[in-house]
This record gives sequence, structure tokens and C-alpha cells, in this order.
Amino acid sequence: MERVSRRSFMKIAGAATGAAALAAAPPIARAAVGEEDAQPTKATTGVPEEPVVAYVRNAASGEVTVTSGTAEHTYRDRALVKRLLRAARKDVR
Amino acid sequence: MSSHREAPGISQDPVADNADVYAFVSPDDPTMVTILSNFVPLQGPAGGPNFFEFGDDVLYSIFIDNDGDALPDITYQFRFRTTLQNEDTFLYNTGPIGSLTDPNWNKRQLYDVSVIRDHGHNGARKQHHEKDGKGRIIGNDLACPPCNIGPRSTPNYDALAAAAVHSLPSGETVFAGQRNDGFFVDLGSVFDLAALRPFQNLHLIPTGAAPGIDPLKDLNIHTIAIKVPIAMLTRDGSTPSDPMSAVSVLGVWSAASRRKVQVRDDNGNAPKGSGPWVQVSRLGNPLFNEVIVHIGDKDRWNAVDPIDDAGEFESYVNQPELARLLPILYPGVFPNLASYTKDRADLHAILLTGIPSGVVPGFQNFTGPRPADMLRLNVAIPPTPAASANPIGLVAGDPAGFPNGRRVFDDIVAIELKAVAGATIPLVDPSFTPDGAAALLKDGTAPGPGRYQDTFPYLGTPHDGYHTPSS
Repeated sequence: MERVSRRSFMKIAGAATGAAALAAAPPIARAAVGEEDAQPTKATTGVPEEPVVAYVRNAASGEVTVTSGTAEHTYRDRALVKRLLRAARKDVR
Repeated sequence: MSSHREAPGISQDPVADNADVYAFVSPDDPTMVTILSNFVPLQGPAGGPNFFEFGDDVLYSIFIDNDGDALPDITYQFRFRTTLQNEDTFLYNTGPIGSLTDPNWNKRQLYDVSVIRDHGHNGARKQHHEKDGKGRIIGNDLACPPCNIGPRSTPNYDALAAAAVHSLPSGETVFAGQRNDGFFVDLGSVFDLAALRPFQNLHLIPTGAAPGIDPLKDLNIHTIAIKVPIAMLTRDGSTPSDPMSAVSVLGVWSAASRRKVQVRDDNGNAPKGSGPWVQVSRLGNPLFNEVIVHIGDKDRWNAVDPIDDAGEFESYVNQPELARLLPILYPGVFPNLASYTKDRADLHAILLTGIPSGVVPGFQNFTGPRPADMLRLNVAIPPTPAASANPIGLVAGDPAGFPNGRRVFDDIVAIELKAVAGATIPLVDPSFTPDGAAALLKDGTAPGPGRYQDTFPYLGTPHDGYHTPSS
């Protein structure tokens, strides 16, 4: 499995994902995700037309898979997985 | 067709394709209402070895509005689960299927039924509760019947189907499984530039007049059927007897939803869903999305709710394309319709608000001014005895038929053709004189024997794959 640091992962996937998702989200959705810590960003590369999807593949080992276009990459990033799971719990009713 | 493959998106997703909805006071028990919602249209009965079934990954919902706000007050939800008894065979069944627990039946479906009631205060926009998929379970692990395969595999099919009618402790009766598709239409003709074989000698591209041909007469469908005491559906818990009371009118529609995200693995396992339920198909009045809504908006119409029909979708009803096409495709036949440019208040009432009192003596199914596509059933109108029932329904003086709900045998194509052609305009605009042809319009099809049955779930025994087609 390809391993990258959290820093490089965020550079590769996080920025693109966040930019794409937030650019496409209506204002009410941006408010709902809690942007109190977010800073305005400007995409420096082309934003994918298709959704960029990240999902937790294995919570125990901290693996997250990101799909974009026809590519799929799996990373180990325990901190990101922890954040995603925390965000998921907020949405579970 | 009523709503079989009616939109570009859902035509690619048969198990979620809501093809027909029926709602009527049960003829064999007038204290009950029966609602049928059909999916998986155009089934060739011989389609093995993986015969047709509901989608395990689809949420099927039936909605009832009992206070006229075009929002659901009661929602029934159905979730299915497919099981394999034996993975070491390619066969659907390894011998004759004699019962719903027969070990010879390899691939079977079970389902749960849940209900959501009391969704908030009148006037407030309630949540689209198909999106949370959480209701109170009133029936679980209920068996579907198998598909009708043939004389060796399903030798006593009617007994299997009867065993799959489940009476729930909460008072409802349910069935989910394959049935004979009760809808009839000359499909090949109507989509060949709106040709109607009995009148095609008058078409812009004429051919000799001929009887209608119904390609659905040999096809099956999957039905979700529920029979509910009327008192469990009305807003005040009564069984109304006054047709003019607002309490007597129910709005009914159904829908199918899928999870927002679906993730596949690399090992061939079933995809896993994530996220909220997203509606992909809905249906109230037959032919609404099929014939009224324009193709560029059909997928969006499927995704939204009846309360969202005001505005753009309403405009399609007010100025229906088919009403403009008929005078062009049948030159000289519809001069009065061609010159009628007003909004179609008759169709607006029939499809979007219900017919108010004072239009048809002794009848109304008005749910209020909010335009929304729902079947509207006045439950205080008793069923018309079979011998005197008229498949043309209310327009022909039979108030128990469409557009007062919809019975399985109602001739929807003929009724809506007549209405679109102007036959119902005088109900709301006495200054209009319909063209002589309007009241005669039909596609020339009629249901043959075996299409329906007198008891729940009222659609007939599905065709078996051995005998259909017969040659």
C-alpha cells in the first residue's frame, strides 16, 4: 500500500476535495458543515468535474480511500480518519 | 405507459422504476383502502435463471396525505433482503416449490414493513421522511412468493401467492411479489408519433384503421400491495360516509429511493450504501411524468416531491404538449382544441388539486389549492359493483373510478386521451365545445381474461415462463 505523510496527503487529496466540495456546495450546506475554522481558499489547479470521494476503508488501521476520476488511492492517516469519524458521528441521528 | 421507463434516468434502473400506483376502496371490504405500487416493469416471464425481484438496496415508500397539504402524514416503507439457500448451484430452484419455506426454493426474498405517522403540525413543511428511512416496524421477515416459473417448478402458483398475503398485527394486510401487469396500452402505436390504431387513417401519416395491440398482455410486474382500514388513514380516525367532507379525501403517491453513495469492492461483493436516501422515482397520477413533463425535466421531477410541483411542473399541466400535438397529428379533427389557448383548468383540477365540489354533482376529491401530483381518493364513495363498473371511471359516471383514485381495470389511456383532447374542458369552461372526436378517443386495447382477480392483491396471477410466450 502506498504510504504518504499526512502533510502530503492533504496536499494531494484534501485540498482538492475540500475545494471541490465547498465550491459546489450551496451556502446552506457550507454553513451546516461548520466553517468556523475554515479559511477562504482558491483552487490553484483544475477542480474535477466528477465528485472526489473519500471514505474510511479501515478505521482500526487508519486507512482512508480517495477516489477521483478513474483513480483510487488508499492512504494511512489516523488523524484524518479520526476527524472523519468524528464528523460522521455528528451526522448520525 | 403509465410510468414504465418514463424518464431517462430511471429507465436505466428497473428495480427502482415506479411503474404504476393504484388506490381504491377495496371491493370485497369497503371499510378498507388498497394501495398498489408497481416496480420492475416489462418483465418477460421466462427471464431466468435469476428471475425478477425487488432491489435489496432500494427503499420503497407509499405516502398518504390526509390533510391536503401535499405532504405525507402516513408513510409505509418496504425493505427487501435476498437470501440463498444453496450457493452450489446455478438454479433458482432445485425442485418443485411447494411452499414458501420449501428447501427446493433457492433464491428467495423477505421484507420488512414499517410505518411513520404523526410528522408534525399542519402547515409546516415536514421532512421528506423517505430520506431517513426510519419507521416503526410493523412486519418483519415477511416472505415474497417466488416468480412464476412453470409447471415443474411452481405447479401450484396461486397457493404460493396466497401464502404470501400477510395480515399484520397492526391491522394492515400486505403482499409483495410478482403479478400480472394490469396496465394496458398500445405501446407500439402511441409512441409512433401518437398513432391510435382505430383512428390512424386520420393521422398525418395515415395507415388503415386497425384494432389496438397491447404488448403488456404477456408481461409481469412486481407489486407492493397494502390494504389498510380506512379509519387508520383519515385525519380524524373515522370511516367517512359523506363524500362532500374534506375528511373523506386522501392523497396517495409512492416512490423509490437509493442511498446517496454506493461503494463497490474488488471482490464481487454486493455494493455497500452510505448516506441518506435519495428519491429516484415517484408516481401519483398515471402518465403524469410520462406524457405531461418534458424530457429534460423528467429526472428532476422524479427526485422531488408533490409539494414541489407548483410552478414549472404545473405549467406543463396548464399547457400540455399533447393537446397542441393532437390537432397537428390529426389534421382537421380537433379544430376547437387547436383554437383553445387558455390554461387547462380541467387538467389542473384532475391532476393537481382534485375536483372541487360543484363540478360533478355529489362528488369531490379536492385537497386544497396547493398544486401537487397525487392520486386523490374519496373513501366515502363506495366501490361500484363489478357488473356495473365502467373502466372510463368518473368521466363516464362511475364515481369509484379514476380520477377518484385508480382501480386496476381503469382505462387510463382512454380517459386521459379524452381529457387532454378537451372532453373535460366544459366541466370548468362551459363556453368550450369539445371536438366530436374527443369523447371517442381510445387506443383500442382492453384487458383480457386473467388480468385481474377479485381479491387482494387484485392483480392477476403472473404469466409463467414456460408458457409465455406461447410460441
